[in-house]
Amino acid sequence: MRRFGELVGVAIAGLTARKIRTFLIMLGPVLGVAAIVSAIGINESSKGDLKAKLRELGTDLIVANAQDAIGGFGSDPKIPAEAADRVARLPDVTSVTGTLQLSNIVTLPFEAAYDYYRAFPVPVIATHLNLPETMDVPMVSGRFLNEYDEASAARVAVIGKDLAEEYGYIANEQRSIQVGGLDYGVVGVLDYVLLEPSMDSAVFLTFANAVEDWDVDEPDPTRLYIRAPTNTRYVAQEVPTVVSLGGPDGANTRVPTDLLDAQSQVDENLNNLTMLMGGLALIVGGVGIANVMSISVIQRSSEIGIRRALGHSRGTIAMQFLVEALVVGVLGGILGAGAGAGVVWLVSEMRDYTMILSVSGLFRWGLVSVAVAVVAGLYPSTKAARLEPLETLRLG
Amino acid sequence: MAESLLTLEGVSRTYGQEVLVHALREVSLDIRAGEFLSIVGPSGSGKSTMLGLLGVLDLPTSGVISIRGTDVTKLPDAERSRLRGSAIGFVFQQFHLVPHLTGLGNVETALLYRGLSRRERRERSMAALEQVGLDHRHDHRPIQMSGGEQQRVAIARAIVTEPDVVLADEPTGALDTQNAANVMEIFAGLCSPERAICVVTHDREVADAADRRISMRDGRIVADDRLGGVT
Repeated sequence: MRRFGELVGVAIAGLTARKIRTFLIMLGPVLGVAAIVSAIGINESSKGDLKAKLRELGTDLIVANAQDAIGGFGSDPKIPAEAADRVARLPDVTSVTGTLQLSNIVTLPFEAAYDYYRAFPVPVIATHLNLPETMDVPMVSGRFLNEYDEASAARVAVIGKDLAEEYGYIANEQRSIQVGGLDYGVVGVLDYVLLEPSMDSAVFLTFANAVEDWDVDEPDPTRLYIRAPTNTRYVAQEVPTVVSLGGPDGANTRVPTDLLDAQSQVDENLNNLTMLMGGLALIVGGVGIANVMSISVIQRSSEIGIRRALGHSRGTIAMQFLVEALVVGVLGGILGAGAGAGVVWLVSEMRDYTMILSVSGLFRWGLVSVAVAVVAGLYPSTKAARLEPLETLRLG
Repeated sequence: MAESLLTLEGVSRTYGQEVLVHALREVSLDIRAGEFLSIVGPSGSGKSTMLGLLGVLDLPTSGVISIRGTDVTKLPDAERSRLRGSAIGFVFQQFHLVPHLTGLGNVETALLYRGLSRRERRERSMAALEQVGLDHRHDHRPIQMSGGEQQRVAIARAIVTEPDVVLADEPTGALDTQNAANVMEIFAGLCSPERAICVVTHDREVADAADRRISMRDGRIVADDRLGGVT
């Protein structure tokens, strides 16, 4: 270890004695590593917002829409309540909520606003009671629909956050809205549902309301929201079968985050291209190191000769030059990684990206720089070791 | 009789492959502790070849070179280098200081890779510089020193390892008379009962300072004269 310390000391003395040359041979690794690190970093960071959003949403929500079993949209397809129960019993499924959107109902904040609001229909959705859990969305104020509401078919409603703002609803205010001419008491406001933005301006009722007030024959949903934290994709494939079981009812499923997920994937081609360019810069840098160090060996031949005379073996001389290359590679790697990280930070600031930079990536590319420099140093150092001291010292 | 430090036995050195140049032919020489010897001879007489072989920087084509009885011609490079570093100190005509190192740094170079701490290296190097009267110049670079001073740094570098033999190649060749006298005085002071000094020169005055003179011609020793009373 002490010997390695001495080698590093000699290398640093040799490198600092020729600062410009050292700077120039370090440029190769610095530029190569900086190019690779910044290209990858910028590429990742430009998708950073999407990735952050995905993390927030989770990618385990499945939406199943009713359709008839032969795949078309026959009249009034439904998912029978018992089919929804079957889905809920699947091992990977943690939560299922069925909904039914009621049509042709005009919802108003108050009677006199009919003309205005007729033009902007508000979705009215009959839902199971566990919608907030399945969608993983909290209440802004008040409460969600509960068993008592369901059992008594009480005329109470929960509204989405956008609708609450639209109607000028004040938190926990005692107030009603008109749903198709009937007064419903507002008991709570649901927060934004990122995976289903249409719910933000919706009115939620119980299935009991749907049957009692809106002529719905059976409390069967047309859509299921399914949480399956494990094997999400597998569950999405299985749900149509589980729903239909050979009967007339069917369903198709989708995972709404799939599109987002695809968008958030880093462009592999672009990445490969930039890595190729950075790799080329590194190789050119390595050739530069080999070249300049070979010349340096000739210029320093008398130093090499005297070191041999002082008892340094050929191996030690080779190590000395190899360690010089190593120091160049390490410093080049550190500076390059730092510069690359700086560029990523700068671009992220300017473009408002969420900066993503993997520390292991910095480390890995820094190591590549070290490897390139050491390989580049092999030739000059063997050349140095092979010098005959007698020829370099010009005796007598 | 004093201990044998460095011995050549029937040593020949030939250069070239097709046209052979016999730089040294069947030379035998025994350098003993306490000796101050000079090797003299005209250009091409084999002095430099002899110095290279004595310093184990070169290997003979045939014959045996031993340091304190160890045959160095059979050793691998690492061993031979270690032995060279510990047994022999070099002083060159052109000083051969490393230009980017300070005086102290140059002296310290001789103590590298010996398992010494930085502090030990500095202390011993400073002591060696003190011995040649240059401790006050330890942080100057060679370019800031006169030729005489550079040669004294080189001498400090040669003796800091406490070698058995100090080999000097025309140590005063690049110096003016005053500095040359100064350097020779230091050499005379380096002589001790445990150490030998060997100076290769064609300067008569330098050769006369020695107490044993080896004269060479055409790759052979033609005379081995004892000048002083010391043996």
